Amino acid sequence: MKKTLTINLGGQVFNIDEDAYIRLNEYLEKIKGYFSGEKEIDDIMNDIELRIAELLSDRINPGKQVIIIRDIEEIIKIMGEPHDFGDFENEEKKKTYYRSSTRRIYRDPDNRVLGGVCGGLGAYMGVDPIILRIIFIIAFFGFGIGLLIYLILWIIIPEAKTTAQKIEMRGEPVNVSNIGNFVKEEFDNIKSSFKGKKKNK
Amino acid sequence: MPDMNIENVKAQMRKGVLEFCILSILSRGDAYASDIIKKLKESRLIVVEGTLYPLLSRQKNAGLLSYRWEESPQGPPRKYYALTDKGNEFLKELNASWTDLVDAVKSIYNK
Repeated sequence: MKKTLTINLGGQVFNIDEDAYIRLNEYLEKIKGYFSGEKEIDDIMNDIELRIAELLSDRINPGKQVIIIRDIEEIIKIMGEPHDFGDFENEEKKKTYYRSSTRRIYRDPDNRVLGGVCGGLGAYMGVDPIILRIIFIIAFFGFGIGLLIYLILWIIIPEAKTTAQKIEMRGEPVNVSNIGNFVKEEFDNIKSSFKGKKKNK
Repeated sequence: MPDMNIENVKAQMRKGVLEFCILSILSRGDAYASDIIKKLKESRLIVVEGTLYPLLSRQKNAGLLSYRWEESPQGPPRKYYALTDKGNEFLKELNASWTDLVDAVKSIYNK
């Protein structure tokens, strides 16, 4: 038995297996990451989603009502991975973008106790955030200024909201494969936290 | 200096030809993305479909193409692409320079 989801893709409704959904979403996010910063991105994504919807509807009939992961794999093979698109304008632009990409400080929303300041600083400096938290707590009790510094940092450091920002926070170059990996990691996190919740019941 | 590997050069050549061919296909009548893809695949110009969509969007934004939505007998409405006047002019120029190029390459290559 498998759980299915209902999705709206290019204006059509599909029932899709959970694993197939995760694979499709991962793929679409990867393409979106590839074209991020392009002014045509919405048009491109729209056309691609329309085409995928069309290919999916060919794989649906009264005897087979659910999209399974094999359908998605077939479609990805037809559509191709972003790096096979042979899109030179985009590739040239990306290269210059990589070079300018540096490590930046953000607050880490996925690794936080209060505002994610220590999580973000830890990612920036390559230090375990727990050590920073201990230092802040000591500074709070020992010298009384820890809290003030923390609050100031909380205000001035922006939160890492997008996938690209989270990758920048770790100091890795923002490219297609990194975004792909990151999205996959996030899905795995969500999956395991779901499983964790189920076990707790 | 940009790296000169064969795949890179081949892909760049194909991309120029591809833009030319998309305009040619549309000069024979409006088409929706899947029609265009079918023709390009038949002539083995594209390997993966994803190649087409950024090109279509850019040509549209450059004013060479326009699109409209049309009801389809089965399924949701389809996005039909059409050549604009500007696109027509562009295609004519490409056509002329293509013939020149082919002649030039032939005359050098066959010597």
